[in-house]
Amino acid sequence: MLTKKGKYGLKALVHLSQMPEGQLAFVNDIARSNNIPKKFLDAILGELRNAGFVQSRKGKDGGYRLSRPPAEIKIGHVVRVLDGPLAPIPCASHTQYQRCEDCDEATCQVRHMMLEVRHAIASVLDNRSLAQMRDAANDDVAALLKYHA
Amino acid sequence: MTGRASIVIVGGGASGVLLAAHLLKSPNPDLRVTLIEKSENFGRGRAYSTALPDHVLNVSAMGMSGYADDPEHFWRWVQASKIITDGNPAVYLPRAVYGRYLHELLQDNLQRERETGRLRLVRETCLGVSPTPSGVDVRLANGTSIACHAAVLAVGHDEEPSPEHPLAVRIDSPADTPLDDQASVLILGTGLSMVDAWLTLEHRGHRGKIVAVSRRGLLPSPHRKGNPIRLDVADVPLGTQLSYFVGWLRDLIRATQKAGGDWRDVLDALRPFNQQVWQSWPASAKRRFVEHTKAWWDIHRHRMAPPIYARLEKAVEAGRVRLVAARVDGMQERSGKLAVRLKHRRSQTLKTLVVDRVYDCTGITKDLSTGSIAVVRDLIDRGFARPDPLKLGLDVTESCAVIGETGSVSDKLFAVGPLTRGAFFEIEAIPDIRAQCARLAKVLAGG
Repeated sequence: MLTKKGKYGLKALVHLSQMPEGQLAFVNDIARSNNIPKKFLDAILGELRNAGFVQSRKGKDGGYRLSRPPAEIKIGHVVRVLDGPLAPIPCASHTQYQRCEDCDEATCQVRHMMLEVRHAIASVLDNRSLAQMRDAANDDVAALLKYHA
Repeated sequence: MTGRASIVIVGGGASGVLLAAHLLKSPNPDLRVTLIEKSENFGRGRAYSTALPDHVLNVSAMGMSGYADDPEHFWRWVQASKIITDGNPAVYLPRAVYGRYLHELLQDNLQRERETGRLRLVRETCLGVSPTPSGVDVRLANGTSIACHAAVLAVGHDEEPSPEHPLAVRIDSPADTPLDDQASVLILGTGLSMVDAWLTLEHRGHRGKIVAVSRRGLLPSPHRKGNPIRLDVADVPLGTQLSYFVGWLRDLIRATQKAGGDWRDVLDALRPFNQQVWQSWPASAKRRFVEHTKAWWDIHRHRMAPPIYARLEKAVEAGRVRLVAARVDGMQERSGKLAVRLKHRRSQTLKTLVVDRVYDCTGITKDLSTGSIAVVRDLIDRGFARPDPLKLGLDVTESCAVIGETGSVSDKLFAVGPLTRGAFFEIEAIPDIRAQCARLAKVLAGG
């Protein structure tokens, strides 16, 4: 499931993708216009910087910007960094595996289907770029048409 | 490509043969596949021509099928051909056996296509490949040329020493003249090619001192039986900076070791996703990887069969093989011997080593535009192709189409195998090559 952290991180990236090329965005501006708590946003942007999706500059006129064109940043890649493995329930992840105490994973029908869901999530999120996410929000009708096409 | 696709494959080694085999799976009766190879060893290529029993495969028999959709094809052939094994498919068979398999796989295809005439072998050196408005013109050394709809470059490795070390020779090449068995030898490289060269020298009864030098002086690790952890693409971080990925990998290895596993269990689990990870990285991460992490990655990822490792370890302990971490700073001929100046990694001091022979086992190609593969150099010279940004191979798209000097993607020139290292990164081993061939065959022959 997408956590608040994942959602805020994606919103911040969409904000950055709308900036004129090369220009930095202030953390305060990102926080205010997207309704994200400032402290939380600081932590999120720090993680995105560690993973190489954004760059920052310190100081009075410091801020953040994307380190790559938004067409090259895939949504699934960002979500993995912020929320960990793409998995609808904890037992559907292999690396951050949490065994369910109350069921047998080999025969659990729920888990079986959730593995399929995990695949579907990855195939959608890994094929959508930040640029596509930004543009879809700008034009709902076009996005809807595209979806039905 | 409609109805009557004629396709020329330049290079009849493992990559070329596997591509031909996958193309011929198409039911199209008008398909024409021509395989061009300069040596008589159709199917064996450079990798599988060795007759030395010690030169074994680096992948166990279970992973070596030539067909992407039939993973046990090789193992069934091994059993049907009465090759002596202990019945366990986790065996590292001699490469000569695999060469025979490829050769027979090609013969099988020839037999099957005898009536249809869909497969033709041409033993000739290919001089050049030229795109024309209607297709591709393939020029041969005998003065003739072949017109086709599409050409695929399946040439592999450089056969001559790199231009950086003109005094070095490749082992078993014509320049590798007989050597006194007490002669002192320097081998450039400490990877799997160096191990092969050392095995060849041992086999020849060489008794002289051998020094192997590379930037870090590290030997490949041995294989060990394990239980790869389960990984899914949803678990693997993609598109991050290198440091983030390496941090994730180290953490995962630590957690696996804590649970009683081995680092191999993690690297082997990651293998199916290596190409995807590479392709997802920004250019800066790829460059950093090649500069800083690749040496470390290679010795863990490209491992050797345990018995060979044990023998090499003994030779190192006994002082017959010495591993040195240094860069080659220069090489000169001096009264019949070679004086090699080495800059040592730790001390940064320069020392001169005088040896009788230097073997180039540095493996990976340098810049293809100055390499020894004529067809490729010619394409680059004329702007129909270009080296990839990291100069690992040719610049190709993820569907193997060759990219020209100006960035235009060709619709009739393609490349497979090690040449496509820049785009696919791990494309030396059969499991990767056969998957690539299956995909390209679908594109060219429509499945």
